[in-house]
Amino acid sequence: MKTLIVARYSFVEIVKSNVLINTLFLGLGLVVIIYIASEFTYGVPHRIALDFGLGAVSLSSVGMATFFGVGLISKEIENRTVYMVLSKPLSRQAFIVGRIIGMGGILFINISIIGVITTCFFSFLGGEINTLVITTFLFIFLEAMMALGIIVFFSLITNNTLSIIFTIFFYIVGHALGETKALSFAVSRPLLQSFLKFIEFILPNFSKINLRTYVLYEQSLPDSFLIQAFLYAVFYSFFLFLVSTLIFNRKNLD
Amino acid sequence: MISFKDITKEFKPDFWKPSFLALDSLSFNIPEGCITGFLGANGAGKTTSLKILMNFINTNSGEVEYSRALGSTWNEIVSNIGFLPERPYFYPHLTGLEFIHYMGDLCGVKRSTIAERSAKWGERFKIRFAFDRKIRGYSKGMLQRLGYVISLIHDPQLVIFDEPLSGLDPVGRKELKDAMREINDLGKTVFFSSHIISDVEEVCDQVIFIEKGKLVYQGQIDQLIKSKMKSEVLFKVKCSPEKLTAIGIDSFAGIGDGKFKFTTLTIDQNKTIRNLLASEISILELSPKRPTLEEVIYKVGEF
Ligand SMILES: Nc1ncnc2c1ncn2[C@@H]1O[C@H](COP(=O)(O)OP(=O)(O)OP(=O)(O)O)[C@@H](O)[C@H]1O
Ligand SMILES: [Mg+2]
Repeated sequence: MKTLIVARYSFVEIVKSNVLINTLFLGLGLVVIIYIASEFTYGVPHRIALDFGLGAVSLSSVGMATFFGVGLISKEIENRTVYMVLSKPLSRQAFIVGRIIGMGGILFINISIIGVITTCFFSFLGGEINTLVITTFLFIFLEAMMALGIIVFFSLITNNTLSIIFTIFFYIVGHALGETKALSFAVSRPLLQSFLKFIEFILPNFSKINLRTYVLYEQSLPDSFLIQAFLYAVFYSFFLFLVSTLIFNRKNLD
Repeated sequence: MISFKDITKEFKPDFWKPSFLALDSLSFNIPEGCITGFLGANGAGKTTSLKILMNFINTNSGEVEYSRALGSTWNEIVSNIGFLPERPYFYPHLTGLEFIHYMGDLCGVKRSTIAERSAKWGERFKIRFAFDRKIRGYSKGMLQRLGYVISLIHDPQLVIFDEPLSGLDPVGRKELKDAMREINDLGKTVFFSSHIISDVEEVCDQVIFIEKGKLVYQGQIDQLIKSKMKSEVLFKVKCSPEKLTAIGIDSFAGIGDGKFKFTTLTIDQNKTIRNLLASEISILELSPKRPTLEEVIYKVGEF
């Protein structure tokens, strides 16, 4: 499979650029912060560990997806490495899908490293590891893949700076969507409510796949909710990747 | 092997700016089994043509025809082409050998074959010593050399190099020119772009010459020279300059030691000899003078 070859070397290339060292440092910093914070708080140190850990995983993964994603395809075109690769028997879709899978692998490793550190600490401080904790990490991966989809899409149609700005904007708006809709101001206005529903339909609804508050307060979530959120994130990312592939297929590489 | 048929390509820098015609119904073909030079000044449209050939950019009109020998699907065609872009660049964090493996894997070449070929061509292009270094640390010429190895890793029938000689030292240029002949001797077709006419003349049988996106000449170099330049002979004589002017030879150059040289058209050769002998001028040397492709292109001013 040509796609997997591209994925493998894209993965190796990013690993060799030593970003994962930053992940290790972040993990180390996290350990220190959690330790200090748990010394100073009363009662629920394991919750602090989980809170900090989930925050770190989420931010670092979305950050990585954004800053590597922006160059994932566009830097190849700028640096002319794409000419080298595409002059071999390899279709453009295999190339772009391979790059995305390779980057997905990096995000997965990043989440795993910090995730393991966090859960270890969490359980060490008396937290109970349940499926919801693990599911939350999976959903953070989906969140990062959605962000990757957004940035790859924008990087193909506009320049790098704008792509990053748009992605950060959509990330923030997407997280705020759930809360905005629940505001009493919005609830009492049907027109605004339907407008928000419409926006929610198009924009990446990051709040829908955000399980962090639930897991922190140990609320249980019905399976149907999880499945729905999972399918939403998967389809949304797939749709973005598909559009990016179609754009890349027709793009002039000059 | 490949024919361009009436290819027109316009670039539109921004949608409100007028478009720029980079290729103007350009037609030529790359003959099989030859070394063909693709000549043209900076901005003539060489790289643009090659990008169209490799399907990196589309055309406004016209089409590229690939010979049956290359294959019928795009995948087959590309498997038979070894392409080296202008100023090639590779993943900086991989080593040279890792990148070679990447490209070889994409072409479906077995690992043992990759090892064999990369050793052979790496040795040939004097880059094997750097195979284990990260590409980030490669110099311009080293990148170029790695590029040659990669373009040959899948043993293609046709190699296409864009400006392969730029960035190489004099020894490297000579080596590459020899290597191109060697590749051609293996039965492969070689097509490369350059704006250095003497390089093209040295290695090529055929030239395709374009200017401002239009074809100026395609064919044998010898024929081009013959058709554009009258052949000349070069005389070297020993006498006083006055004697030469006396028999009507005005443009001559001293080469020291009372010796002079001048050229006449081949058809006037016998008449000149008779005149020289009549004035008792001793002829030191008489040789046919072959005009270079460069002279043809610049002096005749027909292009
Ligand atoms: N992406 C582009 N947008 C606008 N104009 C372009 C683009 N690419 C090429 N051109 C123009 O097309 C013309 C041909 O460019 P091309 O790169 O093919 O020249 P070249 O023959 O390869 O020259 P050189 O010897 O300098 O490499 C130039 O005038 C160039 O400015
Ligand atoms: Mg060029």
